Amino acid sequence: MRVKVKPLECTGCALCELACGYHRDEAFSMISSSVMLYRAEEKKGYMGVIVKTAEDLFIGKPEGAAAMKLGELQKEGASGGASAKPILVREACDMCESAGLEPQCVAICPQKALYLE
Amino acid sequence: MDFMYYGDILVVDLEAGTTEEVEIDEAWEAGPVLPAALELFDKHAQDDPLIFGSGILTGTTAPASCLGFALGASPITGGPAVAPLNLFAGAEMKLSGFSMVLIKGNSPGPVYLWLHDGVADLVDASRITGKDTWQTCDAVRDEMGEQLIQVISIGPVGEAKSDLASFSINYWGSGDNAALGALMGAKNLKAVALRGLGMIDAEDPEEFYNRTMGLLPGLPSEKSFDWAFEGLGEGGLDAWLGPLVHRYRSCFACPCACNTFVKYNEDPAVMGSDGVQEPGLMVTNPAAALWLGQGGWSPEGASRAMEAMARAGVDVVRGSREISAEPLEAPGEIAAAVEALTGPAEAAWPPGEGPAEGGIFGPWTPPSSSGDRWLEVNRAAYVLGVCPLFLAASGVEREDLLELCVPAAGIKLDAGGIKEMFDRARA
Repeated sequence: MRVKVKPLECTGCALCELACGYHRDEAFSMISSSVMLYRAEEKKGYMGVIVKTAEDLFIGKPEGAAAMKLGELQKEGASGGASAKPILVREACDMCESAGLEPQCVAICPQKALYLE
Repeated sequence: MDFMYYGDILVVDLEAGTTEEVEIDEAWEAGPVLPAALELFDKHAQDDPLIFGSGILTGTTAPASCLGFALGASPITGGPAVAPLNLFAGAEMKLSGFSMVLIKGNSPGPVYLWLHDGVADLVDASRITGKDTWQTCDAVRDEMGEQLIQVISIGPVGEAKSDLASFSINYWGSGDNAALGALMGAKNLKAVALRGLGMIDAEDPEEFYNRTMGLLPGLPSEKSFDWAFEGLGEGGLDAWLGPLVHRYRSCFACPCACNTFVKYNEDPAVMGSDGVQEPGLMVTNPAAALWLGQGGWSPEGASRAMEAMARAGVDVVRGSREISAEPLEAPGEIAAAVEALTGPAEAAWPPGEGPAEGGIFGPWTPPSSSGDRWLEVNRAAYVLGVCPLFLAASGVEREDLLELCVPAAGIKLDAGGIKEMFDRARA
């Protein structure tokens, strides 16, 4: 079971990032989140969602979603996003097990763009 | 207020080129956020202040908590007027590390204000003077090396201090219907750039978070405009824009997505990012689209006109109203029509949509209720930091949101108390 993304359902509200950030820090911030909205190409209306696990990144691009191994990404020199804290250097998703909750990014998503499979 | 904010109020003296942080306690005497800003506005009236801030819940998991504000003397009304900071700008305002930003006086040369992680810098803007808002946004982001910076900027129309000026948020038209863009132009303030990686603490975070999670299942999660607006007959605004629609976008933390990205320089069905650099526009002002649609414009012509206005820094709503009667199709003709708006046009607040009592809140969105109701919704929305449109149209119980202020910041609020705060601040 893991968190997956239906990228075309996403409307970019960032509630998933906030919920994950709250799970990490008990405060509202997006800097620690294991899920990240990719919104660096705003002028093109291009937007996706990335989820970091211990083994891979699940990359929900609008043109298709797929998992990529961390090793492959690092070989390519990918930063995993345009944030000041790229997702590759963040903690991996723990499915909110440490909090004893269902994955909060999935629970909070108003568009059901994140789901478990 | 110890929770939901951090840092002090930033006072920017543009004439002296200085920034100073002052403690917030005194400023909160009038009440939180916007009422406090109104009091500061009066206190510093001789310095022609422009104030930026956010609401109590802005930047949290509270639904639609995207809202911040700009407050200044409107060149149109002559009195204080509020413009919304929506999309991601309101949340970024709070995360930038300042509870409120008071900008005094006029700069001798063009500058932009760069707020990031509790640091404030005035940056020379000579290089971007005369640029449109799209070029300005790109230049600021490139200069600071961060593509997620939120850029509140003016174009040539704001620099010319036209009554039709409006600030844009990143590339898109804002709800500045009060010509605060012209006020920025008068101040030689080309932009305010925001980026923050901070954390917002709640007084009782678990209670706050659980309550917000409890609210979400009962709320609408609509995409497009028509859940909130009526207009353009059968099928509404969505059917009219339909052939161009690429995707729908939410503002920060909003379950609904009433910003519509339309493509007209590329097939709207293209989902990749390797096509044209500027495929279209995010329609953020449904009132503007309604003016143009009702005037007989095609969706493509209207979208091109809205893009031209957002780029130039023309208020997209009032500008659309000005040109609505003569539909155009050719990009060159549309550009010329928008260019013709860039002079010192007469631009009264649209009749019938004028500012409600006191003249503070403008017609950001099409009027969907009486003036009194709109005023009441706006008062609560700006104190809470929740989109007024969402508050008015979603069916969310305002009391539920007001009650969130207790676990958020230990503040008990009700509608009557909020009205009193505004009355006191305006007295």
